[in-house]
Amino acid sequence: MSDTQPLLEVEALTTTFSTDDGTLTAVDGVDFSVDTGETVCIVGESGSGKTVATESITGIIKTPPGHVEGTVRYKGRDLLSLPESELRAIRGTEIAHVFQNPQEAMNHCYTVGWQIVEALQVHRDVSDEAARAKAVDLMDRVGIANASARFDDYPHEFSGGQKQRVMIAMALVGDPDLLIADEPTTALDVTVQAQILRLLDELQDEFDMGILFVTHDLGVVAQIADRIVVMYAGKVMERGGVLDIFDRPGHPYTQKLLACLPEFGGTPGGIPGSLPDPHDPPDGCRFAPRCEFAEEACRTGEQPAEIEVEPGQRVSCVHYGPGGDPSLVRTENFGPTDDESEAGPADD
Amino acid sequence: MTEPLLSVRNLTKHYPIRKGLFNRQVGAARAVDGISFDIAPGETLGLVGESGCGKSTAASSVIRLEEPTSGEVVFNGNGREGATRNPDGTHPNDVTKFDDRELKAFRRGAQMIFQDPSSSFDPRMSVGNAVGELLNIHGMSDRRRRRAIVEDLLERVGLSATDFDRYPHEFSGGQKQRIALARALVLNPDLIIADEPVSALDVSIQAEILSLIEDVQAEFGLSLLFISHDMSVIRQVCDRVAVMYLGEIVEIGPTETVFADPQHPYTEALLSSIPTPDPRASVGGIELKGTVPSPTNPPSGCRFHTRCHRVIQPEGVDVDRDDWRGLLNFRDNVAAGDVDIDQVRENVAAGETDASETEIRAAIRREFDIGETVDDPDLERTLSEAIGHLLDGEIERAETLIADAITTPCAQREPEQTIHAPDHESACLRHEERVSADPNPGDD
Repeated sequence: MSDTQPLLEVEALTTTFSTDDGTLTAVDGVDFSVDTGETVCIVGESGSGKTVATESITGIIKTPPGHVEGTVRYKGRDLLSLPESELRAIRGTEIAHVFQNPQEAMNHCYTVGWQIVEALQVHRDVSDEAARAKAVDLMDRVGIANASARFDDYPHEFSGGQKQRVMIAMALVGDPDLLIADEPTTALDVTVQAQILRLLDELQDEFDMGILFVTHDLGVVAQIADRIVVMYAGKVMERGGVLDIFDRPGHPYTQKLLACLPEFGGTPGGIPGSLPDPHDPPDGCRFAPRCEFAEEACRTGEQPAEIEVEPGQRVSCVHYGPGGDPSLVRTENFGPTDDESEAGPADD
Repeated sequence: MTEPLLSVRNLTKHYPIRKGLFNRQVGAARAVDGISFDIAPGETLGLVGESGCGKSTAASSVIRLEEPTSGEVVFNGNGREGATRNPDGTHPNDVTKFDDRELKAFRRGAQMIFQDPSSSFDPRMSVGNAVGELLNIHGMSDRRRRRAIVEDLLERVGLSATDFDRYPHEFSGGQKQRIALARALVLNPDLIIADEPVSALDVSIQAEILSLIEDVQAEFGLSLLFISHDMSVIRQVCDRVAVMYLGEIVEIGPTETVFADPQHPYTEALLSSIPTPDPRASVGGIELKGTVPSPTNPPSGCRFHTRCHRVIQPEGVDVDRDDWRGLLNFRDNVAAGDVDIDQVRENVAAGETDASETEIRAAIRREFDIGETVDDPDLERTLSEAIGHLLDGEIERAETLIADAITTPCAQREPEQTIHAPDHESACLRHEERVSADPNPGDD
């Protein structure tokens, strides 16, 4: 990794919620970073804390009942210690969000163009005319045909994919340096998903944005990620470069997750068991109760410290730590079972 | 040949569109427009396609939750095996002609599972009663026997007998889908229609439910009609797959054959849009632009021709495939009034200087992925003339000019089914032409 300062640096991020049944820890001491122009994917099952982690970054978690601790450094400034007014100035302009369900993210009583203009005028003092021109320009940029005519259409007149394009246009109003996309293609058809992923890729090149992408689809991850953060039950299990993780996944959880894919053998039945209760997480490694390699040491104490197994690839597993035996869990030649996939040049 | 359990022929479902004071029918949304397929006993047929292609309407028409407009659905299960056609050509097992009594009996033999498990249960009814209700309706009045059957089924789908008295909100989405499966199984049907049964679930849970469905299918000897937009799910569970586009089946065949050697360009495009979990695989493949056109006014000829990457060029024309697609897109966009020359001018201008004509022309070509020159002098002349008209603001002239000059056989003739193998068919004009003209063509 470069020694320049990353665009976003998250350290020991912990988000808890007070509930009737006690305190629930959704994100528990998570570290990761995003560089300029890079795509980092957070993967994990639902309930693993992916979304809460990204929403804690810009403070859109409702507090209370939520409570966020740790440090989130964006261009060197700690976002968590900023007053709300300064955070507002960053949110939506420098850091923008795109959410999973464009239907719910829009107000269907107003025209699409009006909503983009509103987003623009919240942050910038621009005239109505200039805002309209900019909005049409953005709609055109995200690939909506005949943008100036579609400006006055209502959300229901757009298809799901087009709505997601509009959401992306809205996110781009402030020329963000960091785009946080939370499952932006999960609600869409594969063909439309392919269009949106392509669009994000083009926009990233054009604006030199860092993208933090939340998804559970490892196919999407393989296509767009530069680096991956694997989360499980609020903890980071493993993080590293996309090639390292797909070729040599270190953590048993990552291995299991990949093994669910038909291309990797497709373990029938998925991963046995389910996520632990977030009110009362197990001692030791969070994954230990479902892990076939779990030993006594896995079930006591804290989540194991991260060990760097390859440059840039860190694994939180007892077996890599002092006194552990990595060969127990490490499988060489992890990869697609059938060798249809010709090894092309790495595209990063 | 053994008798299929379900045999669907030319099934159509049109929704009338009414307007005006007298509610006159002014058109119809042709959601399902003449589909035919068979399902053998114990077999799983997948129905796949983008949203809005008519998959779910097909399912509810087959099981008669909605009255089909026309067509025939012959169901040979549930003790109705071996029936022969009546002298007048109708079939005694035709579901579309069943009376109420027959329909109730049919529902015992064919059950459905829906996408959203949360909204398919009554929140105020315990899951045991929800599953057992079907037994009651179909005449099992003995409460204790009902309970025994349901408890046994709950265990078979991976829950416990004590879950009988719990309520739907106490279960997770995956567990609710297990209960939905138990409910579908309780009448011991021969056919289950599963409409996107796993798309509302998490990936890890998806895998569990899919393998449960497979186990249950083997155990009960069920036939399945499995509807999904997710090709990888289809690949996991289906023996055969039918690909739907705008109310029609464009390709049907054994799953592995269709995945390995897709014959219809739409299948090909669908498959290539699946992100492969291989970080070294090149991004891209075939990009399907736009979305499924409206079923109220489907494109003429082959319905896929407006988005097809292999759209046929007329005789005597031989240009680059992408250029040809670009030219057709250009034509359609001009016709729809979607080419905004002022917007292009503004984008190119980038601030102070006005855009030159050559720059605008280049920008339009880029927009439609048309190369610098089209490999056919006539087409090239037409294109540049049409852009010229657009620049002069004469959109209608441009429109008529290219509407006559750029045409494809795909828009004129509806493709017939081409049989590639006894059980593999697709409907694409390219195959028809090949069969008649060139027995062994190179791939274009």
